[in-house]
Amino acid sequence: MEQEIALTAVDDQAALPLVGRLHQWVVTVDHKRLGLMYIGGGLFFFVIAGLQAVTMRLQLAFPDNHLVAPQVFNRLMTMHGTAMVFLVGMPILTGFFNYLVPLMIGARDLAFPRLNSFGFWLWLFGALLLYFSYIGGDGLYGAGSAPDVGWFAYAPLTERAFSRGNSTDYWILSILLTSVGSTATAINIVATTFSMRCKGMALGKMPVLVWLALVVAFLMLVALPPLSAAQAMLLLDRYLGAHFFDTQAGGSAILWQHFFWIFGHPEVYILVLPAFAFASEIIPVFSRKVIFGYHVMVAASCAIGFISLGVWAHHMFAVGMTPAGNAFFAASTMLVGVPTGIKIFNWLGTIWGGKLRFRVPMLFSLGFLFQFMVAGLSGIMLGVAPFDWQLTDTYFVVAHFHYVLIGGIVFMIFAAIYYWFPKATGRMLNERLGKWHFWLFLIGFHLTFDPLHFAGLHGMPRRIYTYQPGRGLEGLNLLASIGAVVQALAVLIFAVNVLYSLANGEEAGPDPWDAWTLEWSTTSPPPEYNFAIEPEVRSRRPLWDLKHPEDPDWQYE
Amino acid sequence: MSEGAIQSQARREPPGLIAAPAPTAWPMITALGVTMAFAGLVTSAVVSAVGAVLIIAGAVGWFGEVFPQEHRELLEVEPAVVSAGAVRPAAAQVAVGEEGHRAILPLEIYPYSAGIKGGVAGGFAMAALAVIHGLLLHNSPWYTINILAATAMANLANANVATLSAFNAHAFVMALIIHAVVSLLVGLLYGVLLPIVPRNPIFFGGLVAPLLWSGLLFAALRVINPVLNARIEWGWFVLCQIGFGVVAGVVVARSERIRTFQHLPFAMRMGIEAPGIMPRKESR
Repeated sequence: MEQEIALTAVDDQAALPLVGRLHQWVVTVDHKRLGLMYIGGGLFFFVIAGLQAVTMRLQLAFPDNHLVAPQVFNRLMTMHGTAMVFLVGMPILTGFFNYLVPLMIGARDLAFPRLNSFGFWLWLFGALLLYFSYIGGDGLYGAGSAPDVGWFAYAPLTERAFSRGNSTDYWILSILLTSVGSTATAINIVATTFSMRCKGMALGKMPVLVWLALVVAFLMLVALPPLSAAQAMLLLDRYLGAHFFDTQAGGSAILWQHFFWIFGHPEVYILVLPAFAFASEIIPVFSRKVIFGYHVMVAASCAIGFISLGVWAHHMFAVGMTPAGNAFFAASTMLVGVPTGIKIFNWLGTIWGGKLRFRVPMLFSLGFLFQFMVAGLSGIMLGVAPFDWQLTDTYFVVAHFHYVLIGGIVFMIFAAIYYWFPKATGRMLNERLGKWHFWLFLIGFHLTFDPLHFAGLHGMPRRIYTYQPGRGLEGLNLLASIGAVVQALAVLIFAVNVLYSLANGEEAGPDPWDAWTLEWSTTSPPPEYNFAIEPEVRSRRPLWDLKHPEDPDWQYE
Repeated sequence: MSEGAIQSQARREPPGLIAAPAPTAWPMITALGVTMAFAGLVTSAVVSAVGAVLIIAGAVGWFGEVFPQEHRELLEVEPAVVSAGAVRPAAAQVAVGEEGHRAILPLEIYPYSAGIKGGVAGGFAMAALAVIHGLLLHNSPWYTINILAATAMANLANANVATLSAFNAHAFVMALIIHAVVSLLVGLLYGVLLPIVPRNPIFFGGLVAPLLWSGLLFAALRVINPVLNARIEWGWFVLCQIGFGVVAGVVVARSERIRTFQHLPFAMRMGIEAPGIMPRKESR
């Protein structure tokens, strides 16, 4: 039987009043709008979690400081970590994939637009539920408090005997909701990439970003269920008297750690692979060269995705595993450095000999390259079990993962925003403000996180509320706190830039960077249908082929 | 979507219009219902009950969006001309073998034996300086040797000056092994690195590299091993490093170089028969 399709004429949205236009955003199933809503929501929580970080740094700026109470500090720490991973990193990065993947493969939307909408709202409501815990953490009629168990919420310390009230339940339920939302996005990206590519776009002709989106989506599908399962088990322990993590009733004290890190380490790659994806699109365009070693880049990305599933217990060297376990996870951690190193060399190979344009996206990308390499090296150091025994749970670890998350991922998120903002809005971000943003953020970042390596080497434990004077930590912590304020100032400049440029930014046109992938072949911002006619490509740089008919890429691929 | 459905869609899209999935609030309502159902666990059963109602309403509404027929809206195609124009219309291709291409690769290198010889010679020079240091400052040739052994023998790092000034067979063997291995490896490293700086190999090998290495150790040792760090006289340490660097650098730089294949075109290096490389048939 032939399938029928109901068609409705669409209203002229520009003529709608404000409420009507807002309603259009609420009911949208368009991948671009949902992508922008993910990114906007993520940036909103970035500001909140960032302010929480600044508060913590002010508390730690001086020894024996009492700016906030210890209990408040624990909540700040937990909410900052949880929000930055689940409410900032994940939504912003999946938001970019939401926006870009269909455009880059010449499709009109994601495969399941309504599921996409469902995933976004589930994420947003989950995020709001987490912050609602500040009001309802002790139950609606209690004083209220947010979770204070750290972002990885180790059981059995999260069992009801040790974590009273409902604050931990808020953490469990909200993250469970956002995980389901992320799974919906992952399903959508896999289905879209495999089934909706335009004519001529074989897998080997997909942009590197799309390949990485695919790897990230697979990682989400594999890594998120263990976390959700562990959270369900913890809920059963807390509410129905199960004993999964209750050591006095035969439960395991380290089962949670295994479940959490089976999710947690791939999660690092779920966050950092999109940063790699942005770098792989931005660096070639601003080097005016085709990406160096496309096939090796793709293979290395797949290898990283695969190996990252087998390194989780390097977070657990200190629990006392067997020598064989320690050796295996140390070796696998070293191994994941190989494809990652290959990618860094390939980006350098792309830059090498290119006609470099030091625009703001490229500046952030170069910062990322250097900082991520340092982060990788300190990660390899921590992958050596005896070294990790000395420095586990110190500020060296804090400095290392902030080098990954800020020095790597946040720098590339900013690079991506500067790069694709003209496509999404039709306006360029201001270059001068952008450079102020970059340099201040760079200085602030290094002021904060370089000294924290040394604070960790001096033995400063992570998560401490305050410290005593005379232990060599005062100067390092003060520097780190000043750096946090400088970073906040840089983010403020960025916010001003966005608001200013939305209203007064220079008109971007469809292709302001002289770029090569399909999203630049449509208007800025793109129409709701993306492409009036389905594109047809013959190489990995279809716009290059159009611009240079005398020397098209397909002659060489 | 089946092929029949696509054809059906194509037939029903009037010219200049594109059909896209219609906006809908049902996914949002379903998500709100799921969230409220969860939130009820930590608030009130009433919240979960409302959530359950919303889930049912959302699911029914969502089903109505896609069954029995998908609800789509017609979008007007706006006439927009997007022209593809390059800011830099000219593009350069780098040809293999062209002058300047891959110039960074050294055309001449030192053999490995040069690095080994440099390492041995530099090692002797450094050992001589170390013994002189021990004699001048501690009246014993064994002091510096024992300090070197202390990097691997923790008990020696805490030993008193008298112990460090006395001969210790274990420490001597340990220091000898450490010194020989490190000297040979650094010598080999010089052999590999010096062709990259062909203009000033002695300056690089004799001064820059020892100073960089000493600076790195100076910064790191106080953290890694503060006890040992307190025993080291850094002025003499740097002098010994420079002694090694100058001697090893001179020995390596004076060795005979080997010509690499890097100046040849890729095809020739790979042994591929290619026009311009192979002689013409008639000339064979």
